[in-house]
Order: sequence, then structure tokens, then C-alpha cells
Amino acid sequence: MSTRVLGQNVPKKDAATKVRGSRRFPQDFDMKGQLHAKVIWSEHPHAHVVKIDTSRAEALPGVVKVITAEDVSVNEYGIIIQDQHVLAGEGDRVRWLGDRIAIVVAESEKVAREARRLVEVEYDPLPVVSDPREAMKPEAPLVHEERGDSNVFRHIKIQKGDWEKGFAEADVVVESYYVTPYVEHVYMQPDAGIGYIDDEGRVTVISSAQWPDHDQRQIAPMLDLPQDQTREIVPAIGGAFGGREDMHVQHLLALCAYCVRRPVKMVFDRNEVMIRTGKRHPWYVKYRTGARKDGTLTAVEMEIISDSGAYASTTVPVLEAGTSFAAGPYVVPNAKVDSYAVYTNNAVTMAMRGFGTTQSAFIYEMQMSKLADALDMDPVELRMKNLFQDGSIGLTGHEMPQGVGIGETLKEVALAAGWKEERGRWSKPDLGAASGPHKRRGMAVACGLKNVGYSFGSDDKATVGVQLALDESGEIARVTVLSGACDVGMGAQTFLAQMAAEALGVSYDQVRVAMVDTAKVPDSGSCSASRLVWISGNALVRACQEALERRDQILLAETGETFVETEHEFHGRSVHETHPYDPETGMTVPHFAYGYAAQVALVEVDAETGETEILKFWAAQDVGKSVNPAMIDGQSAGGVHMGVGYALTEEYIQQEGVPKTRHLADYYVPTVMDMPLEFTSITVEVPDPSGPYGAKGIGEMTTLPTAPAVISAIHDAAGVWIDQFPATAERVWWAMQAKK
Amino acid sequence: MPTLEMILNGKEVSVEVEPGDLLAHVLREKLGLIGTKISCGEGECGSCTVLVDGFTVTSCIYPAMKAHGREVTTIEGLAKGSQLHPIQQAFVDVTAPQCGYCIPGMVMSAKALLDENPHPTQEEIRMGISGNICRCTGYYQIVEAIELAAQRMAEEGGAP
Repeated sequence: MSTRVLGQNVPKKDAATKVRGSRRFPQDFDMKGQLHAKVIWSEHPHAHVVKIDTSRAEALPGVVKVITAEDVSVNEYGIIIQDQHVLAGEGDRVRWLGDRIAIVVAESEKVAREARRLVEVEYDPLPVVSDPREAMKPEAPLVHEERGDSNVFRHIKIQKGDWEKGFAEADVVVESYYVTPYVEHVYMQPDAGIGYIDDEGRVTVISSAQWPDHDQRQIAPMLDLPQDQTREIVPAIGGAFGGREDMHVQHLLALCAYCVRRPVKMVFDRNEVMIRTGKRHPWYVKYRTGARKDGTLTAVEMEIISDSGAYASTTVPVLEAGTSFAAGPYVVPNAKVDSYAVYTNNAVTMAMRGFGTTQSAFIYEMQMSKLADALDMDPVELRMKNLFQDGSIGLTGHEMPQGVGIGETLKEVALAAGWKEERGRWSKPDLGAASGPHKRRGMAVACGLKNVGYSFGSDDKATVGVQLALDESGEIARVTVLSGACDVGMGAQTFLAQMAAEALGVSYDQVRVAMVDTAKVPDSGSCSASRLVWISGNALVRACQEALERRDQILLAETGETFVETEHEFHGRSVHETHPYDPETGMTVPHFAYGYAAQVALVEVDAETGETEILKFWAAQDVGKSVNPAMIDGQSAGGVHMGVGYALTEEYIQQEGVPKTRHLADYYVPTVMDMPLEFTSITVEVPDPSGPYGAKGIGEMTTLPTAPAVISAIHDAAGVWIDQFPATAERVWWAMQAKK
Repeated sequence: MPTLEMILNGKEVSVEVEPGDLLAHVLREKLGLIGTKISCGEGECGSCTVLVDGFTVTSCIYPAMKAHGREVTTIEGLAKGSQLHPIQQAFVDVTAPQCGYCIPGMVMSAKALLDENPHPTQEEIRMGISGNICRCTGYYQIVEAIELAAQRMAEEGGAP
């Protein structure tokens, strides 16, 4: 398809103001007469709150109010299950260090900070549940006594084919135990915002968010208000990565504004983001894979235990998504999977780029790397042999819809990295000499796939509006796109403008994308699940077509109208129905659309120190249709960067529910010096017939293959499998010592 | 309260500060220069980078009074009216900013680097921004932007 605006590297709508420093993030807003708020956080990972004394804080000059549980109309919330108190009151339980006791509102930030120290809270500590494997045992203390007699709150079962027969037919069985780490999102902009009562009397919040309409659906019942009496405005967002799907400040700011009827500002410091906000789920996984001598997979069996931390958050859908991909983009005829979501008193775990499929990509790709090693088979060839194609049957018995691009993606990345193919036989390139006598070189490949949009029967939908301003001759002069699609940095405003320009036949510069404000733009659903290009794009393109039809009617009828407005609500299920897991067999049609990635890492391991350096990296992604190549390259490199941290350096360490990694000084995010000198991004376009112009989602897929590629390359270099990562120098060194 | 006097983005400025005030807070809260961002609050991430007498400092841990009598340059001091500084323009042209929160600090680190070394190698550029953490981009387009800016500034022959 020939396109004019799609595929062009137009300047991002927000780039100029961001390089100037003039674009405002939530902490950059101030209002006349504003107050400042600070949270009093739980001091225990598990305890009863016995007594809260706010009198000394309230007596401090400049303190306007100390808000406690008594001030909250309906003191419960949660993104899916309402299992969290907004504020824990006397007699309530705190279940992790992110639980809140009170909020101090004061005339200045300094006074609020001081008053925070004056709130006295008496606790009765309870036993801390810190290991989900222990938490599953019948004798374990319960984190939520009111929610049944077990800390396990979801068990997903998949039973496909005859797995015992499958293993009996296998010539090789690979068996492993994996532990994936707790990881922090580290969006650079700490959570912040302002709550106030707007001119129409609505409780309004300016804050970062990924789905402001859904925040409202949690805030309104908390305040016992109709939803249209609340409002959320989302200015520039300083990154999110899933970390802002749950509310961190939004509900607290709404509560403050509601209670004191003045603007209230709240800004978290990094320490609060590190200790008091959610993380990526750690998984504990037993995994067996069986294959014939020729590499054909015969069976997989696995048990996945996911640490949910203290509250459910999005743990269930994260585990459902991750489990559905636990065998990767490979045809496996027989499977048995048991996945468990378990409450503990650790940090709440939640959505993070990949939504469970990052953990599954690590486990299935490590299994494939080990299998290639055990069969003495080229790792690309082994994967190619089992890879999904259009119509392949997936782990839950579903047929893969048209547009499966993983074969093309793997092929392109392998060829770019130097693999040779001859009649289906693949051979790895020569890696060249290591840079020193104690350095060992290794290279490895990994694949990844993920759903686009909300799965398992969700009615995932997006509404997008378009306004056309016409000139006297009926030509389109200006276009405004109205959408609640949050731009967390990936360029939602830009790709929506490009798609509108394409659909309407106007220039990119003629299109403006309105700021996200729930009082002014329709609900486009969440900025997550790599869904905005696909689902908002589908809604937008249809809204544009309807606007053009309306314009033509106006011209034909010669009404002289110069303004056209349309709105389209697009449902994912209109192209593909999905369903929940069958409770016994797990068989289902899980997802309506997919995206794919494949990557190769060339590393050098220092045999004396265990340190890994990534020398070169190749990242291929199937985007269906490239909307903005430079933004895709940015997603690719950014996904790899997050994957490099996951693989080598990032680990949020807790002991008995208390974090040890409380600062960026001890939680190490890779700098530019840690990134490979040579990075190649390869964009593949295998159209998805259900996507707008054939486009697929890409934001999460780019991070899936990175950790298994890097850690499999460490094996290729040093001969050790690092099944509990990050593969720090210490872990690799000890593994090498153990092998000697 | 002590009075901080400095040359801020080319203009003399005088502002009353409290003894413990940090430069980032004074810039943001007392002078309204919100382009300087605070992220880690402990000098680890570089988001708050500004120039003091041409050298980069992490303003979130830099006592404001240390800037007394010095020249301070923030992100707001780079563009000339509607004309972006060549470094800023290069960042736009190669699509370097994603969320953009780290970008003012990145641009200031790039400015300090190119002021001192107008023809840096790629390795020198990497060193120049090694104190700035970005969570979105993987850094490649940022390095590319600085290379492009250096090249354009050399072609124009003017000082940055």
C-alpha cells in the first residue's frame, strides 16, 4: 500500500517543547493558593494499626488538615479487585510498606514534611510472608484473611493433548528451575500532581496516568460521587512502562482536594517511588521441555508461581497473559501448565512492559537455547523448525490469526547478525577473536511475541473523535483528533496525527491532537498492552472515513457548514472474539492480535571477574506497517535497554518485606556506557489484516527477547546457564567456579 | 535570608534563599524555570543538570549559595527566541526525545561537552552523557543527535 504520511519520520508533536524544557510535567504545575501534601506510609510490611494520633501534627502552625481513614467516604479501591484501603485506619491491617496511614496537607511543603514526622502510629506487628512458595503452604499466615483460606488467589490450568505421551516420545528432555527478579519501572518523572475543584465543581486531578478514565472509575466511588463529578487531566508523562496503570497519587490528590476544597500539590521523591510503588512480578518456574532428535517439540510441563505482593493489582491478567505465551511462538502438541498467583507482604507487583510475557519469554527461550545445546543443533534452526505460522495451533488450542511475522523477523535478525542459511540448515557466524586472553565470546538469539490489546473476553475498545475545520471551498483546513490515548513518551500524539493525516489526505502539520482531559476527550482505553496503534488507530481511521463522508454530504447539500465532527467506538472483538481460559483445560481463544520480535546478542564474558559486556546487538521487530520508522527504532533501542538492565543489573532486593535497594545508587539502571557500541534495529512489515493500514503493536515486544538472548550468549561464551538472574558479575563468576 | 546573586542565562539575578536551599529548587520554585527536572534527588541520574561557569552540576544536590557570583545556564538559556539551539534542533530532527523528562539534562550535558570539545568521537559523546540516565530511548538517538549537532555547528562555523 502506498502511503504519504505513514512511514515518514515527521517531528514528534511534543519534541520541540520537550527539548526546550517548556513542556509541563505534573510537578511543573502550580496553582494560586495551593497547599502541599505528604503521605504517612506504613512502617511495617505486615501489622495491625492499633492507634493513630494526629494531634501533634495538627497543632503545627501551617497544617491545614491531617486526612485519615475517617475522611474517606468509601475506603477501598483497586484497579481490578477493590482489595486496598485508600488509608489504613485504627483496627485495619497494613500489608506492605506502600500502605498509607494518613495524608498531611499544609501551607508549604516544608511544613507538610515536618508534620509528617509528628503523626504517631502504634502498630502490632504480624508475621511477614515474604516467599510465595512458602505462602502457598496451608500453614502459612494469611495476607488477606477476609479473602478465603489461602494466599493463592488464582490457579490457571492448561492441559493440552497427552503430555505424558509427549514426554515418552521425546529423545531429549530439558529440565530447569528459573527465578526471575523483582524489577522497578524507574520512570524518570516521579509521581506527582495537583488536585483541585474546577470551575464546574468537579474534583479534578492533573497527573501522569495510563488510563485516566479508569482512574475516574476508581476515584468516583471512593468519594461517593457520580463519575461526571470527577475529572483527570494528563499533561506530559515522564515514562510509565505499566507502572502508572495503578493509581499512585491520583486518588490521594482527589481525596485531598475533596476534603480541603483548595488546590493541593503532591510530589513523590525517588525514595517513595522506589519503596512505595509497584514492581514487575518475580516468577519461580519449574520447566520441562521434551523434543525429538530432529528438534521437533513433543511436550512442555511447567509450574509458575507469581509473587503478587500484598494486593492483587493486575496480577491475574498479567499471569493469564504470561501463561498463554509460556511455550513461546512454538508449536507444542502436548502441554501441562499450572500457574499460581500468590499474596505476600512484598512490594505490590503489577503491569510492566510485557505484562507477564517478559517473564515467559525468558523461560521459553532459555529452554530453547538449552535444547539446541543438548541436541547440538543450531539455535536458529531449532527455533525455525517449531515456529508459529499463520494458522498454527497455540498453547491454548487456538489458531494463530493471519499476519504471523515471527518467521520473517527471526530470519532477518539472524541474517543481519551473520548467520548463513542453506536449504533450511542454519549456521552461526565466526565470532572473531576475543579482546583479551581471559575474555570469552558468545552469541545467541531469542524470539518474543505478545498480544496486542486486552484479552480473554475483555470488551477492549477505544473511542476517538475527529473535528474538521473546512475552508469556504470545503477543503479541510485544520484537523483536531480527540482521544484519551495517553502519550507516555512513545509518540501516541504523533502516530495518531500521522494516521489522521493519511486517512484524511491532509498534511501532518494540519493535524492537532488535543490534550488528554476526561472532560473533553473520549475514552480511548488504556495506554498499555501495546494497543494504541492498533485499537485507537482502528477507531481513528474509521472516524476519519465517517468525517469525510459527512463532509461530502455537506458539500453536496451546499449547506455552507464549515465544521464536521465525528466519533467512532471500535471494539477489538469486532475483528476477533476472545474468551476466558477454560477452568479445567485452559483451552481458549486468548487474544485478538499479536506483535513479534527477535534479537541477537554478541557478548564477551571476563573469565576472571564474571563481568559481561555486550559488544553488538541486533533487534528485529515486526510492526505490520511502519508508521514512524525513527519512533520504532526508539522503541526498539529502549526495549533492548530495559532488557539489558533486566538481564545484567536490575534487581529490587527485599528482606522480610523491607527493600534494600532504595535509591538509584543501589538499583542500577544501565547508562549509555553499558549499552553495546553497535546496535542495529531492523523493522519487518508483515501486515496484520485487522490493524489500521496493517499495523501491529510494538512497545512491549522489543524488550521480550533481550534477557534470554544476553543470558544465552553468556552460556555460549562461558559455558554456564544463569537461571536466576540478573546475571551480575558475581553470579556468573560463582557459576563458573562451580563448573570448574 | 541570604541573597543569591548570579548571572542566570545571561542576566543578573538576585533572589533570597534559605541556607539549605538547593539550586534546582531555587530555579524551579523561586525563579519559575521548570525546565530543570528533579528525578532521583541525589545526583545519580543527571536530569537536573545545569551549567555553573560552564561545568555541569547536578543541581538537585548543589547548594544554591554555591552559585553566588557565578554564571548559571539552564535549558531555558539555550534557544534564542523561536530559534532552537543546534543541539536542541538536532534532538528534534533525529526523534531523540521520548518521554522527555531526562532531555533537558541530556541537552545541558551535550552543551558542556561540545563547548569544550566541538569535535567529539562517539566514545567521547558516550562519556559526556554517561552521568545522565534515560529510561526510554536506549541512548542511541541521543548520541546520534549530539553527533549531528556537532557536525552542523562545525559547518556553520559559529560558536554554540
